[in-house]
Amino acid sequence: MESEIKQAKLRSKEEILGVLDELVKEWFFSKFKEFSMPQLYGVMPIHERKNIIISAPTGGTKTLTAFLSILNYLVSLAIKNELEEKVYAVYVSPLKALNNDIAVNLIEPLEQIKEIAKKKGIKLQEIRVAVRTGDTPTNEKQKMLKKPPHILITTPESLSIVLTTRKFIELLKAVEYIIVDEIHALANKRGVYLSLSLERLQYISTIYPCRIGLSATISPLEEIAKFLVGFEDGKPRDCLIADVQFAKKLDMKVLSPVKDMIETSAEEMQKGLYGLIDKLIQEHKTTLIFTNTRSATERVVAHLKEMFPSSYMENIGAHHSSLSKQHRFDIEQRLREGKLKVVVTSTSLELGIDIGYIDLVILLGSPKSVARAIQRIGRAGHKLHEIAKGRILVLDQDDLVECAVLLKEAIEKKIDKVQIPSNCLDVLAQQIYGCAIQQKWNIDELFNCIKKSYCYNNLGREDFLSVISYLAGEYALEARDVYAKIWYDSSTHEIGKRGRLARMIYMTNIGTIPEESFVNVVIAAGEQRNEKIGAVDEGFLERLKPGDVFVLGGHKYEFCYTRGMNAYVKATVHRPPTIPSWFSEMLPLSFDLALGIGRFRKLLKEKIKTSREKEAKEFIASYLYVDKNSVDAIYNYFILQHKYAEVPDESCLLVEHCRIENKHYAIFHSLYGRRVNDALSRALAYLVARLGGRDIELGINDNGFLLASMQSIQVERALNMLNPKNLKEVLEEAVHNTEVFKRRFRHCATRSLMILRNYKGRTKSVGKQQFKSGFLLAASMKISRDFPVLKETRREILEDMMDLQNAGVVLGWIREGRVKIQQIHTDLPSPFSLNLIMQSHADLLKIEDKIAFLKRMYKAIQEQVSKQKRF
Amino acid sequence: MEILKGIEMIGKALWIKKQKVLILADLHIGYEEALNKQGVLVPRTQFKETKRKIEELLQEVKLKIIVINGDLKHEFGGISRQEWHETLGILDLLREKAKVILIKGNHDRILEPIARKKGLEIKEFYCIDSEKICILHGNEVRIEKEVNNAKILIIGHEHPAISLQEGMKSEIYKCFLLGRWKGKKLIVMPSFLPLTEGSDIRKEKLLSPYLSNIKNFEIFVLGDRIYKFGKLKEI
Repeated sequence: MESEIKQAKLRSKEEILGVLDELVKEWFFSKFKEFSMPQLYGVMPIHERKNIIISAPTGGTKTLTAFLSILNYLVSLAIKNELEEKVYAVYVSPLKALNNDIAVNLIEPLEQIKEIAKKKGIKLQEIRVAVRTGDTPTNEKQKMLKKPPHILITTPESLSIVLTTRKFIELLKAVEYIIVDEIHALANKRGVYLSLSLERLQYISTIYPCRIGLSATISPLEEIAKFLVGFEDGKPRDCLIADVQFAKKLDMKVLSPVKDMIETSAEEMQKGLYGLIDKLIQEHKTTLIFTNTRSATERVVAHLKEMFPSSYMENIGAHHSSLSKQHRFDIEQRLREGKLKVVVTSTSLELGIDIGYIDLVILLGSPKSVARAIQRIGRAGHKLHEIAKGRILVLDQDDLVECAVLLKEAIEKKIDKVQIPSNCLDVLAQQIYGCAIQQKWNIDELFNCIKKSYCYNNLGREDFLSVISYLAGEYALEARDVYAKIWYDSSTHEIGKRGRLARMIYMTNIGTIPEESFVNVVIAAGEQRNEKIGAVDEGFLERLKPGDVFVLGGHKYEFCYTRGMNAYVKATVHRPPTIPSWFSEMLPLSFDLALGIGRFRKLLKEKIKTSREKEAKEFIASYLYVDKNSVDAIYNYFILQHKYAEVPDESCLLVEHCRIENKHYAIFHSLYGRRVNDALSRALAYLVARLGGRDIELGINDNGFLLASMQSIQVERALNMLNPKNLKEVLEEAVHNTEVFKRRFRHCATRSLMILRNYKGRTKSVGKQQFKSGFLLAASMKISRDFPVLKETRREILEDMMDLQNAGVVLGWIREGRVKIQQIHTDLPSPFSLNLIMQSHADLLKIEDKIAFLKRMYKAIQEQVSKQKRF
Repeated sequence: MEILKGIEMIGKALWIKKQKVLILADLHIGYEEALNKQGVLVPRTQFKETKRKIEELLQEVKLKIIVINGDLKHEFGGISRQEWHETLGILDLLREKAKVILIKGNHDRILEPIARKKGLEIKEFYCIDSEKICILHGNEVRIEKEVNNAKILIIGHEHPAISLQEGMKSEIYKCFLLGRWKGKKLIVMPSFLPLTEGSDIRKEKLLSPYLSNIKNFEIFVLGDRIYKFGKLKEI
């Protein structure tokens, strides 16, 4: 039978009433007037035990939709005194602080139903709910074994731990429902990890649990559905899709803080921006402001307090993931109580934590993806039928064009697509270890079980076996016992765990989120020598090169060098910053949205060429949903570029050559988002570098990339050498042994349990992990290029950090002629390339080998010495 | 290349021609095992690599004496079976060719059982009186008469390496240092340990009490051969 992923149908109220128990019915209507849209779509299929994914905005009563049928089922059993001592439903959420939401969605309803039953004199068995996360104390866990919860609330990590616990597994063998909440936040390695845990749960299960996925706005839902349900016999399992994403009406606008962004100074821009923010806040009851980075969050709070001291004191707060748990709880609580006028956040309030009533959401700068914009704005308007009001405030011309197109796509319901990582070997290693701790496995059976996960459906047997070999210690060269975590018997084809510490190692080291490490910023020389002035995150450090100027705590510093976990800087700098301090946290522009902007560029370019100003402006006004100020600003920006150079668009990839201070620049106006540009630029830089035999500097942002060198840059030859087929191979060479590679390798080695953060009672600091991973990388390189941890590092860089797939698509378009390369020469960089020149992420592609570099440096020293001797 | 008259740099080792003495420093056998114990599961390559490098050296020179200038093995505390085995393996290899002199390093707290097994003596320092050369690890200042009488001190301990920079680019190399200490000439040897270059003398805090202001020290960078780069302050 063909498997089916199909749309769920809207069911009637009567149908739902027909299946609900009297008690549940009475409770429901004591709380709500009507069933919500998600409930009309979702309650019946869940009652019928059909897999379903429900995508609806926040406040859409999603969680209750998922639980209503389950509560109904459990209540009906409890009345008949038929509740067994087992877990009926497992609820998994990426959020750790679940208690509050669960109280609202489960404990309270259960209490209230019990009340009603009591009044009616109906005897009810107790329905138990328990939360199990990393924070759950041991005695609570023990209690769960004695009195198993009927509904288990947990996180992906804790779920995989209970799957290795022999006693608890017994309670999970007849789970009937699995709910995965906030699935839109799981399109990453954590989700990959969960997908395997779900298959492990399914494997031990004697019945097929019904899977329920809950998601905010996301696309493509068909793929998310497959991700939720997995595969059976090589085909996706059946799943229904209840798409109520647009049930909530959105009132969205793009606002520009000043009339003319080209002529406005930075100070005026700042004044205009905060004036507008203040005005919007004062016009509303409670405002939630999203910035794209944590540092910007702090900055906005500080500026508002400083510029409007009488308006913002106790009623403003910041909420982001670097703040303490206590602080965040406090903010959430005060929000719910209506004590805050405004909260500024980065990404931490995107998820569905209950935060009470918000009547306005402000997005500062482009949220970089349509889905994210809708998710964020959807936090406004508590109830599903209320209108969510959002205002996007733009910060420069590129931002304006981007947000205007984003708004159009959002209004026209075009959601950009996410990609879910696949065949991650580090996550696989961790899960196989878990499987081996759980029981002995025949490896074919294990392979089959793994391939049922959407994320491993096309996993190659060779890769699977390489992970088994790695875990069995077969790569260990001289000492096999170094990291043998499992044994593998090639005659019986069985694997099992090794060592008494196995479970302990597993429990204390699992997880997929790399520990964020902070690097101290220390003064390198002078009076303040060795004074610590603050910290930056490791990712930021990765982007810095000696000589870069950045801002920290309001002061400028020049980066000199790093040592261990310290970054040494000079404090006396008189140059402007060369790198924005929020770079590493920047969200990449989605590919689909980028293409949307390219399309708009093309249409407007044609208008500019063929018609007068008035008509071109009319076109902007009708195509985009923006005000007159914005229309003028967009028009002026394009006309400037048009007159000076050429407007790049979806079918014209402009390559601009210019020379600044004897350096050759090739600026590629490749509007495909940073992930694609990262791939294209590094592959091209590698080829150009090889042709010239010298290193190439590169700069990357969402709108394009640049290559720079003291020699002329052979763009055409390099482009001719690159095609969709060899892109991967070229990139693998290009990223080999770079700083990015070293960092990602550490993350992959930690996930693969090659670096144990916690071992024999000791916890390693990230700094120590980092220092030692350098040695580890050098040793791993000696083993084999195909060593699974190295292979995964390459995959993660090419597919997750970069977008190999779409970069290949773009190269295909270039080959087919669908995208034409147009090369021009300019004296100064064109208006469209200013942001790229000024603040793109800078890096160096090294081609010259270490010895050649040494020889060249030696020669330079020799020449210097002989020169000095002459004078 | 000679670092001082009669003292040649061969790869990571020093070679005193007249007396046919070869000096190696900081082998740190067992470094990988120490990492393993901390939960960093490095595959083992060090022993094989170290052995190969020593064999290469032994083919190049005909020697009488070989001096291990401290930290033959890593590990503070006990000696594991693997370390025991590997250390003996390296010592056997050397003993076949020459008389072996072990100098105590800061990581060699309990080197004695190994030395005893092979009938070797462990010294705090080793002096070649005729040349006024004294070889010592360098983790602490020694005040014995023989050391005081020497004109040339050869130390290890520091694992010196130097980063060369040009624009955004930076690479790090092992290096020898030549400088002065209290009127004596001072040579600092790079570590023999493979896979890691050592600590960057431009960026990291110096460890040895013999080193303080090193900007006038001369730098000999180890690449495919030795490159004399001149004084640190001029690089």
